[in-house]
Amino acid sequence: MAVIGVDKVSKSFGRLRAVCELSFAVEAGSCFGLLGPNGAGKTTMMKMIYGTAARDANDGGTIEVFGFDPARDELSIKYLSGVVPQENNLDDELNVIQNLLVYAKFYGLPARVARERIASLLAFLELSEKVKARIRELSGGMKRRLVIARALLNNPRLLILDEPTTGLDPQVRHLIWEKLRQLRSGGTTILLTTHYMEEAFQICDRVLIMDKGRKVMEDHPQRLLEQNIERYVLEIPQEHAAKAIDGRRLPEAVRVDHAQGISRFYCDDLDRLKVVTDMLNGQAYYLRQANLEDVFLKATGRGLNEKQ
Amino acid sequence: MRSSETIPYPHLAWRLYSVWYRHMRVYTKNLVSNGLPPFLEPLLFLVGVGLGLSRYITESMDGMSYITFLGTGLLVTTAMFTASFECTYATFIRLEFEKVYDGMLAAPITVNNLIVGEIIWAGTKGLFFSFAVLCILTPFGIVRLPQALLAPLVGFLTGVMFASMSLLVTSFVKTINHFNFYMTGFLSPMFFFSGVVFPVSNLPKPVQLVAQIVPLTHSVRLVRAVCLSRYDPGLLANLAYILVFVAVFGALAVRRLRRRLVS
Ligand SMILES: Nc1ncnc2c1ncn2[C@@H]1O[C@H](COP(=O)(O)OP(=O)(O)OP(=O)(O)O)[C@@H](O)[C@H]1O
Ligand SMILES: [Mg+2]
Repeated sequence: MAVIGVDKVSKSFGRLRAVCELSFAVEAGSCFGLLGPNGAGKTTMMKMIYGTAARDANDGGTIEVFGFDPARDELSIKYLSGVVPQENNLDDELNVIQNLLVYAKFYGLPARVARERIASLLAFLELSEKVKARIRELSGGMKRRLVIARALLNNPRLLILDEPTTGLDPQVRHLIWEKLRQLRSGGTTILLTTHYMEEAFQICDRVLIMDKGRKVMEDHPQRLLEQNIERYVLEIPQEHAAKAIDGRRLPEAVRVDHAQGISRFYCDDLDRLKVVTDMLNGQAYYLRQANLEDVFLKATGRGLNEKQ
Repeated sequence: MRSSETIPYPHLAWRLYSVWYRHMRVYTKNLVSNGLPPFLEPLLFLVGVGLGLSRYITESMDGMSYITFLGTGLLVTTAMFTASFECTYATFIRLEFEKVYDGMLAAPITVNNLIVGEIIWAGTKGLFFSFAVLCILTPFGIVRLPQALLAPLVGFLTGVMFASMSLLVTSFVKTINHFNFYMTGFLSPMFFFSGVVFPVSNLPKPVQLVAQIVPLTHSVRLVRAVCLSRYDPGLLANLAYILVFVAVFGALAVRRLRRRLVS
């Protein structure tokens, strides 16, 4: 069963089309990742789902979340969902527990229930020692975890996270991934955006890559890799590559692209890339497996567009 | 497929209360620095201006001593100023810099709930500030209990009225300095020409007309009436003015601020 169904949805800001006839579905209990360069329309899409952005009306686009249309039933959707926005927006004037207590009021949680839930959420996100801390005293990672705790106050069936781990160190990132996996095993449906391809690979059951408001591709991350990019990549600084190759024939089925000072050689066959490395006369190179980032860059282009 | 499930999100009164509660918690966080000035200011004003000046003003104004005239006026001007500050500078900061509203709107409340809750909160501050003035006036015998106990209610109405107008102003403002025009260009003159400091009845006709139109005049009339128990049917017109004003400006503010909160 789909928890979120988005069908041909668009969103315009004046003449700019931030989201353009986007369609996708998020299955109950799965983790769905929205990927795309800056300005692709990820945040805008998420806001339309929980009702703080209005989709273009009367163009046939529809959104359903738990069977509710955010344009008509935003309260039902918000009650069932927890939202972690792109920017932390905690109340600096209140301390950690006060932030959560104030927020618990919005869900009508009785004080005793709220206190119990807060205690268990702070423990879950490893913030128990910070109950009385002021927001300003928290590190970036703690603030982020607190915002996640806040989103979990009402035991949401759907958790929406806009770049949950941007700017955080690897330890915190791994901790958050682990918590998200636990939540998903508990049956929570997760929709997230991210710029970290590893994050998408680690926790998403399905990813959608979008660019300039449109869908570019969508699939299980492993299948996206297998079907859209060669298995191996060889990276060489462009000047070295130019000198070494210089008119010589490359092995069959090796694809090359040059961008931002690096030449990249792609191939499914590791040995053929080794042939290329042999031409280098000992110059430095980096030979690795292709990852989701390569797919992403292939799909959305290496150069910057006007929105980034 | 439309869902037939009914989701038990909180009802309207609770949603408004939860917005109010958020503001109340933040305000009472610094009880001393936030709670003391409402008492000190009227005290200074009365001692400095009232007692000093009223020795020279022996003529009665609208049938009351000058100190009563001025003191009762303060009961509503304090509500006007606090509600106006709350819904201009403070609202703007929450809107633009702290992104507090973005966080609140992810919870099960609507933009309307958010704004109406904000107006009710500003009204509450008006009530509290009026009450503080009352606490200063009473021991000096400037107003009498129990009738003056109704004055904070007029403070509430005044707060709500200026909150809706201030929110409408805020919906137009792009940078925070623009509020200075509203404060010094509109609220300060109103303080002087609404019959707070001196009666408007002796002013030139055009000024009197303006005084009839601006909101503070109506609050001042109501508050003097309750403090002195001088009721007459004309007060219904003042009350009606306030209610209509709140409905119209409140609706406009909601409409315009919605566009700023929901993209
Ligand atoms: N309120 C708004 N008014 C006008 N334009 C907007 C508004 N919000 C977003 N946009 C524009 O819509 C486009 C998509 O923005 P959005 O924030 O959805 O991108 P994003 O994919 O979340 O980017 P990022 O990775 O930087 O967060 C951008 O070009 C942005 O400038
Ligand atoms: Mg974004």
